[in-house]
Amino acid sequence: MEKTVKGEKPNPLWGFLSSVRLTIVLLILLALLSVAGTLIPQKEGAIEFIQGLNPNIIKILEFIGLFDLYHAGWFRLLIGMLAINLVICSIDRFPSAWKRFAASPSVDRIHQFEDLPDNLMFSVNASVRQSCERISTLLNRRYRRVRFKENNDRFFFLADKGRFSHFGVYILHLSILVILLGSLVGSFFGFEGFVRIPEGEKVDSIMLRNGTASISPGFEIRCDDFTVEFYENGAPREFRSTLTFLIEGKELEKKDILVNHPVVFGGITFYQSTYERVAGKLIRLKITTSEGGKIDESLTLEIGQKIDLPGKEGTFEVLEVRHMGSVPAALISVETGKSDPTRFWIFEGFETIRSRLPEQMLRSPRFDPKAFKPYIFVLEEVQMRYATGLQANRDPGVPLVWSGFFLITAGFILTFFSSHRHIRVLVEKGKNKVHVKITGSASRNRFALERELQRLVQDIKSLFPA
Amino acid sequence: MTSSEILSYLTFIYFLVFVLYLLMMVMGRPGIGKTAAFMLLGSFALHTAALLLRWQESYAMGIGRAPLSNLYESLIFFAWAVCLLYIIVEWRTRNRSAGAFVMPLVFLAMAYASFSPSISSQIQPLIPALKSNWLITHVVTCFLGYAAFGLSFGFSLMYLFKRNDPTEKKGDSFTFIPNKDMLDELNYQMVVIGFLMLTLGIITGSVWAHSAWGSYWSWDPKETWSLITWLIYAAVIHSRMVRGWRGKKIAILCLVGFACVLFTYFGVNYLAGLHSYAN
Ligand code: HEM
Repeated sequence: MEKTVKGEKPNPLWGFLSSVRLTIVLLILLALLSVAGTLIPQKEGAIEFIQGLNPNIIKILEFIGLFDLYHAGWFRLLIGMLAINLVICSIDRFPSAWKRFAASPSVDRIHQFEDLPDNLMFSVNASVRQSCERISTLLNRRYRRVRFKENNDRFFFLADKGRFSHFGVYILHLSILVILLGSLVGSFFGFEGFVRIPEGEKVDSIMLRNGTASISPGFEIRCDDFTVEFYENGAPREFRSTLTFLIEGKELEKKDILVNHPVVFGGITFYQSTYERVAGKLIRLKITTSEGGKIDESLTLEIGQKIDLPGKEGTFEVLEVRHMGSVPAALISVETGKSDPTRFWIFEGFETIRSRLPEQMLRSPRFDPKAFKPYIFVLEEVQMRYATGLQANRDPGVPLVWSGFFLITAGFILTFFSSHRHIRVLVEKGKNKVHVKITGSASRNRFALERELQRLVQDIKSLFPA
Repeated sequence: MTSSEILSYLTFIYFLVFVLYLLMMVMGRPGIGKTAAFMLLGSFALHTAALLLRWQESYAMGIGRAPLSNLYESLIFFAWAVCLLYIIVEWRTRNRSAGAFVMPLVFLAMAYASFSPSISSQIQPLIPALKSNWLITHVVTCFLGYAAFGLSFGFSLMYLFKRNDPTEKKGDSFTFIPNKDMLDELNYQMVVIGFLMLTLGIITGSVWAHSAWGSYWSWDPKETWSLITWLIYAAVIHSRMVRGWRGKKIAILCLVGFACVLFTYFGVNYLAGLHSYAN
């Protein structure tokens, strides 16, 4: 359908950019490239794949974007071409669609009623005036616009509906542009990030996904609580984090967030993504002496809490807890005020894990529970808690993409499920009866038009009981 | 009887229906076609009942979810959707010849679901990410789309089998097949329905992904393959606008398109990603 307006010289570039042939080529090229992108390992997956290749080849392959195809320049170029193709094609064709939308074809086209099949012609027992009145009422009820004209004792009706369907394809194509625009806006002004918050703590920065940078959103996020429920077979049923958002220490909003139920604050959407178990703040430990004589009760303390040593030689505190090879460990610092503090790690279940530790570690004073004589520190339990892992994204393009989705649906319905239908009715006087002829045309779906004409014949006939 | 037992018996009935449609073509006996059509209606009703039963079973187990969320259930639903569309087309066109081309899809899908050792027919509870109403609309629209593409595949095959010659010998197995213009038109209608449904499927899928993972598009292999399928069918739709691209070329493109559908459905499980039913 590459036609140009008569008398105008076609501009070859314009012709190329507005052609549907180009569209097909672009669509198929994009499809082929996408296939390649699913077969060639991308991004992180590529690292393993390229091991053993010649570094120069790797450089070339990276340069042409083989390992991040969907973000490679020329993939975008093709999408850009498709967008240009779409715009030019629409501009090229819109005037003719507008014409078909605004056209008002002449009402008394007698030749349209030639060669009609028998089932679209019938006679009624009524006067011409009566017939015209009743038919007019019926048509006016059913169609948007009904025009009437008398010509040489022939009475013509022209009714139409659905003329907006001419714009369906334009809305559909526009929606593609809107979606592309939305994704562009998202990639320029949005980010994808991640936060990890242990229960009871708060963070004020978001780690960005690509790269090591982090941004501060201008507020703090505190995780008050995290719960996870399991099915009987051990599969997770639900994760839930209770979050509080604070600005300058003031609690502004408290929200529960679940998988599939994200929460928006300050333009950033938080999604429940992962969770892990981490060491909590409370530690239970026991201090004994090497002689084994005087044994203290076990005591529970918080990180950073200074406690007197049993013999008042000084104080000790737990500086940090952490998992070392999945075993909870606490860093003890003992201060006597005389010399530098003594620091060493103690492990939960030290006796049982002893055999698993490397030789050097056992000999190092940093891992010796007897490092501060005469005491032996025994770590009994580190209270565990959850840390929630949240995806934190900002994508200002999403509203555009959503409206594109809406438009595409509307455009589809207009394009495929409606059509511009013209219905013509001719009423003329015969010898002793009035003849009625019906015909019509439609911009698409002739079968539906046929059915509509049949129904109209029935309905008009029933206006004139025998 | 449990729903999965009923469904595995249905596989054999569908196979029988296929054989009947085939016999109708080969022997040129419309009477057999009528029997096939009635049997098809019966098995479709049973199929529908089994789906509802499975739904109810999940409630009885205290899980309570629509039967649309693992490979087994999606195959069963695919077969159901193909039957539904085929019954509508058969009724609208008053022509039964497509049955022999379409029914294999149905019983193969049913057989794969029921008898493949790697597919479990158990009703499993949903992991958190799958608990979403978008999931249900996503699966329904995608699989209605796949079903329409399946019919388009059948019509394309018929188009390629059918001879151009209008003076076919009597008794030629393909006389029941409608003429090529009609096939082309039917094929196009299926492509349009499929394209619309696939578009809606991709849309609901991205809205769901956005609420579950925070990003409406992440180029995961399944997403990408559905986009590839979408692009191919968009090419089909537009090739009708270019002069001369009717019939054969379109039929061949539709075969390619359906191959993409199958890959989106099964092949992608061999590439890692979010959608793999395996985990
Ligand atoms: C991926 C993007 C595209 C999609 C999803 C799309 C979709 C569609 C659909 C569904 C139709 C209706 C077909 C019918 O009426 O049966 C259509 C028609 C059309 N498309 Fe596209 N299209 C796309 C891109 C383009 C581009 C880039 C062009 C540029 C030339 C284009 C040009 C046309 C034309 C000329 C028509 C026919 C309009 C008419 O009936 O008057 N399309 N398109």
